[in-house]
Formats: sequence, C-alpha cells, structure tokens
Amino acid sequence: MRGLALSGLMAAALAAFTPLSAGAADVTVATAQGEASVPQNPAKVAVFDLSAADTLLALGVQPAGLPDKVYLKRFDDAAGAATKIGTLFEPNLEALAGLGPDLAIVGGRSATQREAVAKLAPTIDMTIGTDVLADARARLDAYGKVFGKEADAAALAKTLDEKLAGLKDAGAGKGTALFVMTNGNKMAAYGPGSRFGWLHDVTGLAPAATGLDPAAGHGDAISHEFIAQTDPDWLLVMDRSAAVGEEGPSAEATLKTPLVEGTKAWKAGHVVYLPSGDLYLSPGGYTALTGILDSLTAALKG
Amino acid sequence: MLASLMVGAARIDPLAAGRDPRAALVLMESRLPRTLAVVLTGAALSVAGVIMQALVRNRFVGPDTVGTSESAALGLLGVTLIAPGAAVWVKMLAASLAAMAGTALFVAVIRRLPPREIMLVPIVGLVLSGVIGSLVLFVAWQFDLVQLVSAWLFVGEFSGVVAGRYELLWIAGAAALLAWFAADRFAILALGDQVAAGLGLRAEAVMRLGLLVVALCSAMVVSTVGMIPFVGLVVPNIVARLMGDNLRASLPVVAISGAALVLACDLFGRLVRYPHEIPAGSILGVVGAAVFLTLLWRVPARG
Repeated sequence: MRGLALSGLMAAALAAFTPLSAGAADVTVATAQGEASVPQNPAKVAVFDLSAADTLLALGVQPAGLPDKVYLKRFDDAAGAATKIGTLFEPNLEALAGLGPDLAIVGGRSATQREAVAKLAPTIDMTIGTDVLADARARLDAYGKVFGKEADAAALAKTLDEKLAGLKDAGAGKGTALFVMTNGNKMAAYGPGSRFGWLHDVTGLAPAATGLDPAAGHGDAISHEFIAQTDPDWLLVMDRSAAVGEEGPSAEATLKTPLVEGTKAWKAGHVVYLPSGDLYLSPGGYTALTGILDSLTAALKG
Repeated sequence: MLASLMVGAARIDPLAAGRDPRAALVLMESRLPRTLAVVLTGAALSVAGVIMQALVRNRFVGPDTVGTSESAALGLLGVTLIAPGAAVWVKMLAASLAAMAGTALFVAVIRRLPPREIMLVPIVGLVLSGVIGSLVLFVAWQFDLVQLVSAWLFVGEFSGVVAGRYELLWIAGAAALLAWFAADRFAILALGDQVAAGLGLRAEAVMRLGLLVVALCSAMVVSTVGMIPFVGLVVPNIVARLMGDNLRASLPVVAISGAALVLACDLFGRLVRYPHEIPAGSILGVVGAAVFLTLLWRVPARG
C-alpha cells in the first residue's frame, strides 16, 4: 500500500516538475470554471466525461484514456483503443498515473474529482450545464483551439446551426410538450431550467406543466394522473433504465396505461422516444446533440 | 379511504363518475388501485410485524429491521442475474423464498442469544439487515444494477401504481388474513416454548407458518412498491399498548391502523408538492423513526 502511495506521489511530483512536452505553447480556453490555460496539442488526453469524448471524437481526436464503461455503442472502437482510467464518477488514479496524460478532462458526473485528477495532469472541467446548447458550442470552440482544429470546429458549429434552424421550423406552432423520464415503473417530469429544459428551447414547444422544480436532479416524481391532467400535445420521453443498460420495463410499457393513452399526445402519435443514452449520458456531446436534434425534427415533421 | 379517492393530480369530480367517463377512468385506473395498494401494503406490513414480534418474543423488530426486506431484494436480484426474462411468478417465488431464508436465519441467531437481553435482538436484526443490504448493493454494483436495486431497497412509493401494476399486493393481503386465522397460535407461541409445548402447540409448525406470512408480505411489498419503513415495527407496538396481546382481537385493529398510517403518509406526500409527489416511504421514515425512538425511550410496560 505504501509503495502504491509513494509511486503516486512520485508521479505527481514528476507531473508537477517536468516541463511539458518540448515546444508546447499554452492556450487559454473557456471551461466550466472560467478561463484556463492548457498546453496546446496535448499528445495524450484522458477523458472522464462522455460529452467531452463525443465532441473530441467528432473533431477526430482520439482520447488516450476513457472510462472503463462507455455505455454507448458508438464509443466502443475508441474505448478499445484507449486505456481504462476509472468510472464516470471516480477516476482510477493508479491507471491515470500509469497513462501519464498531457491533459485530463473531467465534467458532469466526474467534475467533483477535478482536484484529485489535477495532481496527476493539467486538468480542465468541461461540464455541460443546464444551458446545453451554449455550453456545447463553447466546448466545441475550446477543443478546436486546444487541438489546433479551429476549422473543423467551425464546420461542425455551422452544421449544428443548420440543424437548430430546421428544428425551430419543424416545431413552430406545434403546441405544448412534457418531458418525462421513465426509470423502470417510476416516472419523473422535468421542466424549463432543469437539465432537460433545453428541449423546450430548441423545439419551441411550450412547457405543458408549470411549477416543475428546475433544481431537482432526478426530476419531480409524477403519476399517470399527472400526465393525464397535463394533457400535453407532445410527450418527450427518455428511458433512463435503457440508457444505462439496465433491466426493467421499457418506457413504452411504463407509459402505456389508459390514463396516458387518453392524452392528446398519445392519440396523435406524438410520443417521441428520444435517444436515451445520448440524452442522459452525453447531452452536450456533438454527435449526441445533433442526433437528438435530428430525432426531434423527424418526429415534429412527422 | 374516501380522501384518497378524492386526491390526485387529475382534477376530476369523483362523485360524478357515473356521468363523466373521464372521471370514471381516473377512478378505476389510478385512484382506486392506488388506494387499495396503499391499504394492502399498510395492513400486510403491520400484520407481518406482529407475527415477527411474536416469533422472536421481542417488541423492537419489524420486517424491515431484521433483513427480511433485504433478503427479498436479494432474491429478486438473483433472478434478474440468472434468468432476466423470468415470469413474474418465478421472481415472486424467488423473492419470497429468499425472504423466508433471511428471516429464518435471523430467528436462528436470535434463539442463541440470552433471553434477558431485550435490546440485543433489534441490534442483531439491524446488523443482519445491514449485511444483507450491503451484499445486495455490492452484487448490484458489480453488475451495474444499482438503480434497479434502489427501487426495492430505498424509498418505497406509490406514484407508479395503476390498475394492473399492484395486484401482487393481494397476495400479501391474503397472507395477512391467513395470519389472522392462526392468531391464537402465534399468541401462545409468544409466551415461550415451554408454555406452548405445555398447551400442546407444535411450535415448529407455527414458526414455519409465521415465517411464511412475514416473507410473503415483505416480498410482495418490496417487489411492488419498494421499502416502506417502520410500519411493521411501530403499529404493532402502539396497538399492543392499547389492547394487550390477544392477537385474535388485536390483529384486525393492527391491520386497519397500519393501513391508515400508510394512507395518511401517502396522502400527505401527494398534497405537499401538489401535483408532484413525495414518496410515502420518505415520510414514513421520518414519522416512524420518531415514534420508534419514543418507544425505545419509554421501555414498555409489557416488555
């Protein structure tokens, strides 16, 4: 045990005292914790946040370290080529020290671990907050700067703008929406200002329910009666159990009761099952975000 | 009961159900099932608590403080891992058997304790439930099923109850009824092995029946709504203070009181943040813990 602690300390000391790779200039970028100065073109990046990994991969940057479990199929190839460095919640500091990254990125579920990770490598917190779109753009822009891929980042941003404009058109005058997360047999609703509130902004669909607590991390517990009473024009559904690959009834099975079937949304076929994994695990990642926008656009055009 | 039928997120006039199809739908699909689920849960857990206390001759135990509920969750987790697509009855069987095994283990441990140590029994129960609960969490953690398990192990609630999703609780209700038919035997068993033998009671058989009732009640509640704490502990104590230990007379009162307590907590949970909900289990946790501490504080007249 003592040996391990010592080797950790040694690694930390080395990281602190060895000059960064020769000729590396520093670049200042916006992070969730304000401006931060990081080495430009880091060779090895350790990424603890799936939104960050998603955007980096969209830019063509292969992370050297990724979480043990990446949940989403499209990350499998990248994860196979990367070192496993812990979970989304907790870094494995031994593995991280062994990897010796030039830059570490934490965010979202791993944001609290920034200080621990910073002992081993320059670390930035790239959390995507509740203002998903603004944050996603800022992160994309920052990664472009750090990895010298400004042109690619600008191209991706342009595509994002086009998709947003298309969705705005599709959603114009389409009424109200209620966002529901199912978790096994339980349901929770989220409203404006919450972690899924941005769905109202991008679609232009007004919130069907007022008074939902924006600060509730797991939403407001609701009953089938609540959905019947709210009677939204659109039901936006995320299946949390499916997102993290758990057993349990599907979102559709949970929702399918005579009460929900009586709503305007259900009768009109306006129940949108969003890509749960993307929405829950990497909401501000570039590929996830554009995928969610696409599925919303397709449903609203329906 | 009436209040519960009146309260819900949908704004309907329950009295107009005859004329208004929407009101009738809400009543039959949501209000009535939910009310029944709450009542069955409260009644079954309180009765299970009484039987439990008779089995171990100690006032300070309930199905959720000795590892019964955790064992049921362990059984459910086992089925999920071994045969994910198993039929509901298989899952229930596994949960019930595991709950029986866990409770039997507790009783076996308790029988080896010095009988004068009244406080040792609940402590052993809490340790055992902690150990089994940790085991469930550990296994779930290994297989990334923590959220699934948390639906059984953590706060129980009724917000997901609609027609067709609570019927298993009738089994718990039936088990509680079975206990009432055998009430006298449990009352005699609670007097001690020698007394029971002297009165010609087959203690082993009654013990098994008791375990069955407790396990069935816990397993059905855990798998349907999750952990509803303290009901099985607090209600029997309060009723025993008022009515003594004639179980044949007191069991119905226990059942009704338990149902009333859980219903009150669920109603409170529905109204505090109307139209959103607070889990009944959270409210019971607070209320029940306070009552339990009071009970511990005033060592009962009939220990």
